Amino acid sequence: MAGKSAATPSTYSPSPAPKTKRTIFQDVDWVRPDGRGFHQCRPAFLKTGAVNAASGSAYAEFGNTKVIVSVFGPRESKKAMAYSGTGRLNCNVSYTTFATPNRGQGSDHKGYSSMLHKALEGAIIVESFPKTTVDVFALVLESGGSDLPVVISCASLALADAGIMMYDLVASVSVSCLGKNLVIDPILEEESYQDGSLLITCMPSRNEVTQLTVNGEWSTPRVHEAMQICLEACSKLAKIIRSCLKETASAPKD
Amino acid sequence: MVGLSVGEKHFIQGGIAQDLRTDGRRRLTYRPFNVETGVIPQANGSARVRLGGTDVIASVKAELGKPSPSQPDKGKVNIYVDCSPTAAPMFEGRGGEELSTELSGALQHCLLGGKSGAGAGIDLSSLVVVEGKVCWDLYIDGLVVSSDGNLLDALGAAIKAALTNTGIPKVEVAVGASGDGLPEVDISDDEYLQFDTSGVPVIVTLTKVGRHYIVDATLEEESQMSSAVSVSVSGQGRICGLIKRGGAGLDPSVILDMISVAKHVSEQLMNKLDSEISAAEACEEES
Repeated sequence: MAGKSAATPSTYSPSPAPKTKRTIFQDVDWVRPDGRGFHQCRPAFLKTGAVNAASGSAYAEFGNTKVIVSVFGPRESKKAMAYSGTGRLNCNVSYTTFATPNRGQGSDHKGYSSMLHKALEGAIIVESFPKTTVDVFALVLESGGSDLPVVISCASLALADAGIMMYDLVASVSVSCLGKNLVIDPILEEESYQDGSLLITCMPSRNEVTQLTVNGEWSTPRVHEAMQICLEACSKLAKIIRSCLKETASAPKD
Repeated sequence: MVGLSVGEKHFIQGGIAQDLRTDGRRRLTYRPFNVETGVIPQANGSARVRLGGTDVIASVKAELGKPSPSQPDKGKVNIYVDCSPTAAPMFEGRGGEELSTELSGALQHCLLGGKSGAGAGIDLSSLVVVEGKVCWDLYIDGLVVSSDGNLLDALGAAIKAALTNTGIPKVEVAVGASGDGLPEVDISDDEYLQFDTSGVPVIVTLTKVGRHYIVDATLEEESQMSSAVSVSVSGQGRICGLIKRGGAGLDPSVILDMISVAKHVSEQLMNKLDSEISAAEACEEES
């Protein structure tokens, strides 16, 4: 005890996963940790009206990823901003400090706000609310992998709940490349070992892609394959979002 | 840039549809570009790229640091772009921040690859000195001096040239270092290691105006764009990153077509850029 020169750490952090886990993904017939097929998304739970004070809000739970989005607006634009004949969209994505295994890791994802903005701006009819601003605030309560796609899908549900005019609902899905396999809707563990990722946001009824981000090394046929898988998943997800909205609309008012 | 009149807008769109742009180029032709390396003596590596009216400078500085606990065998790279007010008065103060973050994010995306390090333009494991304790931190800074469209491609080219020009000093680790503390390192002043930049990708931005795509858009043409796709292609023809910008939605088949066009254009760009860089390096050695 007397010989210890280094100070003992005052907080306990989970130690980083050992490197040996990486080789598991290289096996030919490895099974995903939660038992899903490679092209199977997590079951989605969606609910509107999570926040009373907001014009529209939604809560989404995809496995361990839990996100709440509230939409305020259209509200008067700040006086400092110049006059604009079309509406403005303001997006903000923040993580709670307890969302990640290590406290405060959410600040690694500062770029998500602008990515959410890019994903939504193609779908919203900004001419319908000139001179005003619509604010979209997303809060990630728990990060369980594939955070940004869940935020985008949940935001589109919240915007529909708020009654903002849109060309179509926006659905988003991401695909991870692990060695030779393409796995859809990766969890946190799969994301940390991925060789590449592809995030696609689309408007399924119009068959239009509003946002596409590719990371890592891909060959063109791989990109084709990944986009096909994602677009199918997006249209299924859009159907789920639509049915959630219909339920809310047809529910008897208390 | 002064606003465009309706007639000018039609002229630009019509010209692109007929494969004859306002400066006489065809749709898939780049403007003549010029590369100079070693422009910043204080930095470990630097380069200046002029692409028509766009002028950007990239500098690479290497400092010793500690690797992150989740990846102890890799060095760290930080890419940051600054838009100078000399390019446009609106960049003063916080004005250029949005564009800077967008460009920095896009470059990090294209050059740093996936989380496991696959597909990265720069081999991060070559930056490690003592595994888990000492590694090189590369700070790549881009500066936009003058903007006439197509900043991303110019910055990508400048970073590739700057990395070719970069010399990392040789480090000698003192033998018999203690278990927990940082080992003593001796940075030599004379010997330098050069980077292998054959793996660094080039970025090609395809801008969609009307129904056609153009490469290397000027500021006026960018104002008419409906959307743009920036593809980062490596020397072996693999896609290292892709970002779609712009508000309009794109059909998936259009995106796939743009990817194949981008790959085709990137071959010529890569060859031209490599020859320009070696000419610049040769020029610098003579002086």
